[in-house]
Amino acid sequence: MAAKERFTLGRFLLSYGFVLTLIAIVVLCSIASPAFFTFKNALFILHASAPTMILATGVAFVLMTGKMDISIGSTAYLSAGVGIMLMVHAHMSPLPACLIIFAIGALLGAVNGFIVVVLRVNPLITTLGTFFTFRGLALQITNSLTISIPSDLGEFGSIRVGPFFLDTLIAGVVLAAYHLVHTRTVFGRYVMAVGNGVDVAQKVGVPVDRTTFLTFVLAGLMASVGGVLTMAQVGSISPSLGQGYEFTAIALLVIGGVSLFGGEGTILPGIVLGALTLTIIQSGLNFVGASPFVYPLVRGGIIFVAMYADSLKNAVARKVRLIPE
Amino acid sequence: MPKLRILCSVVSAVLMLTAGQALAAPKPKVIRVGVSYNEKIHSQIQAWTDEMEKFGKAYGQQHNVSFKWIVNVANGDPSTQASNIQDLINQHVDVIVARAEDAAAIGASIDAAHKAHIPFITFDRQSSTVQPDVHVGGDSFAQGITAANAAVELLKKNGVQGKAIELLGDLKDMNAVLRSQAWHQVEAASKAWTTVAQVPTDWKPENFYTGTANALAAHPEANVIFAASDFAFDGVLKALKEANRLAPAGDPRHVWMFTCDVQPQALEPLTKGYIDVAASYEAYAQADALVTVIAELLAGQKVQGTHLVPGRLFTPQNTAAMPAVWSRDYKD
Repeated sequence: MAAKERFTLGRFLLSYGFVLTLIAIVVLCSIASPAFFTFKNALFILHASAPTMILATGVAFVLMTGKMDISIGSTAYLSAGVGIMLMVHAHMSPLPACLIIFAIGALLGAVNGFIVVVLRVNPLITTLGTFFTFRGLALQITNSLTISIPSDLGEFGSIRVGPFFLDTLIAGVVLAAYHLVHTRTVFGRYVMAVGNGVDVAQKVGVPVDRTTFLTFVLAGLMASVGGVLTMAQVGSISPSLGQGYEFTAIALLVIGGVSLFGGEGTILPGIVLGALTLTIIQSGLNFVGASPFVYPLVRGGIIFVAMYADSLKNAVARKVRLIPE
Repeated sequence: MPKLRILCSVVSAVLMLTAGQALAAPKPKVIRVGVSYNEKIHSQIQAWTDEMEKFGKAYGQQHNVSFKWIVNVANGDPSTQASNIQDLINQHVDVIVARAEDAAAIGASIDAAHKAHIPFITFDRQSSTVQPDVHVGGDSFAQGITAANAAVELLKKNGVQGKAIELLGDLKDMNAVLRSQAWHQVEAASKAWTTVAQVPTDWKPENFYTGTANALAAHPEANVIFAASDFAFDGVLKALKEANRLAPAGDPRHVWMFTCDVQPQALEPLTKGYIDVAASYEAYAQADALVTVIAELLAGQKVQGTHLVPGRLFTPQNTAAMPAVWSRDYKD
């Protein structure tokens, strides 16, 4: 019988550190600004983090396979850009335009997948290239304009179902679906197997190439969904749409427990935890009236701690594996 | 045969006349202008580019010069911009015009251009370190003062003691910093409002939306918004609508709004009375000034170190009739 893992403070902090940090941030902000700790504000925080949660969910599987995708921001912008031009210039109604946006997002993800899997180009290099290419195309298509979205799509961004914003519920459904795929399906197990070791996965019959390709397609699809939700929230598409999304998504995935080294992590509650941490920090700084110069420092500090904790966790795990029973 | 001889004589005469005229007329001097944009993500930049070319052509016809524009874009990265500017230096352009991504980092490029004996003009965004030959742009500080003074007048006229939310721009952008300084200078002098929240937006529409919503939730007493730019105003309006505070002037729920730029997204809110005052950023006039400065600088004329184009005051009453509004031409 395997011995129970001994409780150590270090292990506990590594595993639950961010939950404790999140609780501490909420408490501090609530003391500094009583308006922060309200149900209404909690709903708004969920609403504000919905697009980021969806974007991060899409990238999660890519990271879990040990790969990287830094083009999701540009994918979001290009797919949304095509959609907005169809709505504004071709007078297409929002629903079919959104379906086209999602199809384009998946297609752009497929382009990444093709380059990585078939052409065997390093994923970071691949998606660095598409990061620039997709954004350049989008700027060309939209002529770098900030374009207001049709009012019915704008209204969509404010619709509530009961007390919850509709986009929060959509994010919930996406997260739940991904969680089920990750934990209950063969594909989910394939993703983790590839992340734990490509060679071993191949030997045991995991379709490594197909799995990797599909993770990129899903990342592109979710990027386009996130782009639509962002557009609906702010009421317009601007050339800065998607800028920095990739790094935010990766940061919150790492905060939420997904390893940059692959083979480790969960959809729930990891992504929710990560997204809420970043949004609560941003919101909290707004509420307490922090100096504008403090924002990047705090944000960067949190992301650094998250990355460091992740690398520590991996270092600890490796040492544990090396110690004989 | 005599007919053929006559024909040949006429043709020769015409050819000689044409050649003579061509030789007599001086060729226009070609001015190769290297333009380095930090990014090309605003319609304002397209407005500048189009106006530079249009005005450049007209100016060139009058002054026998021809402008050749070599444009590159840095995608918001200071090191990419430095590399782009070096490319322009290596192409031996006659003058470099740069809209800086980073007010401090551009200094190194100015140095490099000077070492290569190429004049350097900063456009729209000033350098905070090494100074260029000339700076051409809008007077951002004056813009902020204009908007703030109009705010004082309006608030006092309506008996309102303001509690203001300030939506700051990108802190690396001198325009944003200057507008904020102007706002606070007038605030300190007039005491017409108190700034209760400063929200950094990094010029991102999402931050305009969430920042406004958070600031309104944290400060429900806020009745004034000052936006360093109105380019992403849809998000601000949405946040106000969701807080049930979007109402034109005259409505008790009205939030007094003062902005800078008069970008395409601001035109409708201005005419509808949601934005009370906006101080414009004159893209066309700035482009015209730039072309004139380039030609004069390269002709060896004495040129002032700074050319700041003042903005105009836009209100709901005068916006529709205001002439030469670039944002009307670039509204999508």
